[in-house]
Amino acid sequence: MKNLKKLLCGALSLTAVLTLAACGGQDQTAETGGDVPIIGISQYGQHGSLDNCREGFLQGLQEAGLVEGTDYTIDYQNASFDDNLAIQIAQAFSAEDAALMVGIATPAATACYAAAEDKDIPVIFTAITDPVGAKLDSGNITGTSDVLPVEGQLELIRALQPEAKTIGIVYTTSESNSVYSVSVYQEKAADYGFTIEAVGVTAQSEVTQAVDSLIAKGVDCFSNLTDNNVVGVLGSILEKTNEAGIPVYGSEIEQMKLGCVAGAGLDYVQLGIQTGKMAAKVLTGEATCQDLPYEVIENYSLYTNSQAIAAMGLTLPEEIAQQAEEVGAQA
Amino acid sequence: MSDLIISTLTQGLIYALLSYGVYITYSVLDFPDLTVDSSFPLGAAVTAILLLGGMDPWLTLLCAAGAGAIAGLCTGLIHVRLGVRDLLAGIITMTALSSINLLIAGSNVTVERAVDTIFTSAPVMALLGDLSLSGRKLVVSLVLAVVIKLLLDLYFRTKSGLLLRAAGDNGTLVTTLAQNKGNKKVLGVVIANALVALCGAVVCQEQRSYSAVMGIGQVVFGLATVIIGISLVRFFTHSKGAQGLRKTKGLRFLATPQGTTAVLLGSILYKFCVQIAINVGLPANMLRFITAALFLVVLVIAGRKGEEIIHA
Repeated sequence: MKNLKKLLCGALSLTAVLTLAACGGQDQTAETGGDVPIIGISQYGQHGSLDNCREGFLQGLQEAGLVEGTDYTIDYQNASFDDNLAIQIAQAFSAEDAALMVGIATPAATACYAAAEDKDIPVIFTAITDPVGAKLDSGNITGTSDVLPVEGQLELIRALQPEAKTIGIVYTTSESNSVYSVSVYQEKAADYGFTIEAVGVTAQSEVTQAVDSLIAKGVDCFSNLTDNNVVGVLGSILEKTNEAGIPVYGSEIEQMKLGCVAGAGLDYVQLGIQTGKMAAKVLTGEATCQDLPYEVIENYSLYTNSQAIAAMGLTLPEEIAQQAEEVGAQA
Repeated sequence: MSDLIISTLTQGLIYALLSYGVYITYSVLDFPDLTVDSSFPLGAAVTAILLLGGMDPWLTLLCAAGAGAIAGLCTGLIHVRLGVRDLLAGIITMTALSSINLLIAGSNVTVERAVDTIFTSAPVMALLGDLSLSGRKLVVSLVLAVVIKLLLDLYFRTKSGLLLRAAGDNGTLVTTLAQNKGNKKVLGVVIANALVALCGAVVCQEQRSYSAVMGIGQVVFGLATVIIGISLVRFFTHSKGAQGLRKTKGLRFLATPQGTTAVLLGSILYKFCVQIAINVGLPANMLRFITAALFLVVLVIAGRKGEEIIHA
């Protein structure tokens, strides 16, 4: 009995200490915030593309004429690719009565949307490939999709490799964005005379094995998605494919810098800017999320790495060279 | 402010269900069960699909727990009947289950706000309709966490429960009582994974989403909460008898009902540590570091008092 009392006493004092500690943190945000609306940004993890999204978003807010400090303050948090952290981050935003929550990548966005339900806080998402599939296309939520320009990519591959027949794709089966992109590839490939050899993996450690199996199958090239797992080991993939003499096409500017030959890709900074402008409309009350359907990026860009192209013995058609941005020199 | 405490407490209470499961395998049975990383999303996947199919949200919890029980049964049988080492048996089931999860629900499912969850179901609304959504979430998860704790405490006092504890502590004793200790182990792993899947199901309903990767790191979370909880309870209840027994099993062992109380507190404390780390206002990338530092502080403070426990 005495022990139980002691235990209860301890638990209570612990809760009190924690409450104070949590309280201290809270006040800190409030002090810097004052009456200025808080924008809570939850980024799913540390990742070049997602960082670009966030930076673009901040830029977009400014381009929309808002000034940090008077029109809004930013509470930025990063969930380190941990769904549970994303949940608690979103709840912290709700507790500090954020005027707007921003979820970068799907798990961050769904966590924000769940935490926003009670107070009906508007949520803006970005870097979600398939908002319809994720059921984030209606309600007090809107944002931008980073759906890949698959047809642009297929066209580009056809231009560089007129003889190619099969395209190899390695993707992670648990990344919904990748699963969706692969389905688009499979749907569109025949229109350009390609067949798709897709291999799904469940972990980063399986990626290079999947690449080996595709090389063994004799694919004519690889197309790399924006799959987090796969992009994480792109360097070692390129070592293998360079040895085998198989070109790899990328889907984002950073991938061409790493050594992919070319790609029709997104500029995540642009995507972020577009998102920031949408957020500004919601924040100022000019529009509600319900008024704004989710957007896809208007234009895609072509990127090339001429060193990689030359190494593969490919020739870049002149009209593509003129449109494309050469990024190889920076590598 | 109070919002933050309510939502963090809710998280701790919900995840306590998972901690109970890990407590049963790791602490009571001395069985390092890695099935958890996949049985957690399994529960969420089952609930998500059934909710979208229009099933009553409470009923989906039972189905999810049932699915988790089957997963546990697989691990248990692989270990006991096929003679595969415990750690490996868990790894095998975990690996196979990640495919099953993808088959059941794909990589992501979102449950729309129009679909009722346990927190918005008719009986809860009838009783707690005046509360805000987060208030209801707190009450419902508190009831779940406490009821399941009490049920477990009751169970551990039954004959079957006592034999289960004995199977982990002293297998020979179980055999001398003409009981099959393998069966008891299987039973324990079944109960544990049913609880873990139940936790996944509640998380899914609370978050209105399932993702195939939501299970990553749950074993680690479970172990951390068990160890933190037990260290803390030791800290406050230290010095009373049965010292020898405690010493032999180090930080692992704490008999119920103290054990279940300990992991409940451990889970809540863990979530508060994370929430504090989020709120300290340091650079976002430092979050994990702060969380780790907070745990270290807790464990060191608790360890100082009962130093011999650490050495045991």
